[in-house]
Amino acid sequence: MPPKITKSSTTPAKTLKEKPVAGPSKTKPKDSEVIPVPATASDDEEADDASESDEDSDDDGVDEVGMERLMNALGDDGLDEYEQMQLHLALGGEADGDEDDDEEDTSDEEFTLEKAGAKGSDAENSDSDDAEEDEEFDDEEDEGEEDGEEGEDVALEDVESVDDDAVPKQKIEIDNTVALARIRETIQLDPSLPWTETLVLTYPDAIEVDVEDDLNRELAFYKQALHGATTARTLAAKHNLPFTRPADYFAEMVKSDAHMERIRQRLLDETAGIKKSEDKRKEREGKKFGKQVQIEKLKEREKGKKEMEERLRGLKRKRGDMLDKPAGGDDDFDIAVEDAISDRPAKRGRGAAPGGRGRGAGKVSRDARNQKFGFGGAGKRSKSNTRESTDDFGGGKRGGGFGGRGGRGGRGGGRGGFGGGRGGGSKRPGKDKRIAAKSRR
Amino acid sequence: MSSVLKAQKANATSKTDNKGKRKADEMDVDDADAPQLKKKKNKQRVLLLSSRGITHRMRHFMNDLEVLLPHVKKDSKLDSKSQLHLLPELADLNNCNNTLYFEARRHEDLYLWAAKTPNGPSIKMHVQNVHTMDELKMTGNCLKGSRGLLSFDKAFDDTEWGKLTKELFTHIFGVPATARKAKPFIDHILTFSILDSKIWFRNFQILEKDPVQPNGPPQTTLVEIGPRFVLTPIRIFEGAFGGATVFSNPEFVSPSAVRSAIRKEKGGKYGQRKDAEQESSRRKELRKRDEDELAVSKVFA
Repeated sequence: MPPKITKSSTTPAKTLKEKPVAGPSKTKPKDSEVIPVPATASDDEEADDASESDEDSDDDGVDEVGMERLMNALGDDGLDEYEQMQLHLALGGEADGDEDDDEEDTSDEEFTLEKAGAKGSDAENSDSDDAEEDEEFDDEEDEGEEDGEEGEDVALEDVESVDDDAVPKQKIEIDNTVALARIRETIQLDPSLPWTETLVLTYPDAIEVDVEDDLNRELAFYKQALHGATTARTLAAKHNLPFTRPADYFAEMVKSDAHMERIRQRLLDETAGIKKSEDKRKEREGKKFGKQVQIEKLKEREKGKKEMEERLRGLKRKRGDMLDKPAGGDDDFDIAVEDAISDRPAKRGRGAAPGGRGRGAGKVSRDARNQKFGFGGAGKRSKSNTRESTDDFGGGKRGGGFGGRGGRGGRGGGRGGFGGGRGGGSKRPGKDKRIAAKSRR
Repeated sequence: MSSVLKAQKANATSKTDNKGKRKADEMDVDDADAPQLKKKKNKQRVLLLSSRGITHRMRHFMNDLEVLLPHVKKDSKLDSKSQLHLLPELADLNNCNNTLYFEARRHEDLYLWAAKTPNGPSIKMHVQNVHTMDELKMTGNCLKGSRGLLSFDKAFDDTEWGKLTKELFTHIFGVPATARKAKPFIDHILTFSILDSKIWFRNFQILEKDPVQPNGPPQTTLVEIGPRFVLTPIRIFEGAFGGATVFSNPEFVSPSAVRSAIRKEKGGKYGQRKDAEQESSRRKELRKRDEDELAVSKVFA
């Protein structure tokens, strides 16, 4: 398993690193990784022996034994994958070259040195044979090509199971343009076939939009289709191919009528929903606005009322002392009231006699008050359904608020409000006559 | 070339004697020309089938294609996914020279094989983003069996595999004029576009409104009929449903790899947190300083 190998390769490194700190130079030359050390170590050893042979044997540089010891000491950790690869290539170069020549396709295979290195490190130790190395290479190449997808799956799975220290493998990509062209020529339709047989169009522009941008992407597709449709129309006209479906051509459609009805209903619902929400929004805004308008109107009305009150009060004050004047002054009062109501008070000449105020205070005149409260409090506490009231035929007090003199006097300008010209009491026909009139009508 | 010359000669001579007896050599010429002048027709039939384990959406999608293409023969489900060599035989049985095979994996992934059956090339593609014709947003409609226009993007002609794919799609998705159920008018257009190294498919209905100015060209508008889908080519094989790979897409990531990567990411959070905790405690140890010279314990032994 790869993790084990890496761990084992790290532990000797650790021990190697720790020893030089602790131990003196008496320890074996394996300790340090610097190349000159074996030379000095061997020097030390040979210094103990005779010193004559030094220059002769050691002028070659690092000697055989030292190199061997060095390689053993360095082990897996010393040369990293790239250097191992180089070493192996240097040693087994011809064998690899043969393999490449034997390949028939001109396929673009990519495999990196890293992959080879990883394969190398997965082997037991770096001292494996070159031949073995080459065999492994072969197997991988064949596997990649012929297994199709499985090759792909193997690569991915391997990537996931190796830990982070390993170098990533690269997938084998194949793009055999020669073979593709050959196959296409085999299956190609006869180029002399007229356009009407295949109805193929090519869009001359390349589509370059961001994939994530939905609107523009769909717009690009739409444009492509539109261009196709317009080109096809001219081509069809040239080849006498009927293009437009006439309105009276009825045939089975791809989507059933029921389905189209559902689509139509959905569209209608959508538009109705939009309209409804629009209306609601308008109403909401209108309400806010309308509320303000209402408030203002109320204020206006109140103001108007107050003004009227003021004017009337003023008038009342002016004519307050003319209690005794008879009703001849009614007209003057009425004119004055009209003036007060209207915005533009009339010219001075209107109300000629400002003193003609015979009515009394405000709505209720003196006489009415006398009737109500005078003579021991006649009004509320007296009997109301008496012989007198019955004989009156219901005209009695109904002559307006001013009518102190029975019904008649109070009718001034028709202020009393019961429907004019009937005389004392209104002459309502009896029940039978009324029913007869209704049925006749 | 010789046939053209002969035809010209025949025309030249026939002009002068229209009604008289024809000369013997002219008759021979006519007979020889007759089989050559017979027009070559585009004859395609497509076998449409699926594997087992197909979901409702995939099934509706398949039915949509069956409805749109009148030269298609739908067959029952293929039992085994490993014995794809049965497919060319099935196609032969049904007199089809193309096949569209929907392979459903794990009830969630859909792969589409498009092949020319006797021994033609085959493409395996991964299908994504399927929207069927039933969706209410697809408001267009077209004649059942009308021949559709095919519009290919310029990018198909830029690469070799693109050209091969274009040719194959022309055979499969293009309705031949000789199809039995084909209807006369041109109603709809199928568009294939390459974007982000994937093939995007759309189907539009061609609507024509009265021209703005009289005597002008009618205004064409397009409404989508559906279905719509995205294809990612995985591999192109030399034979039908097998054979040597002639193209593999480097940008394809299998959906199972995507899912496992997502799950690993989710699961890795705990491990990463624990590692980070260990690291921080180790670093804390490293940063520990020796006791200060003036510390209480040192001064007051």
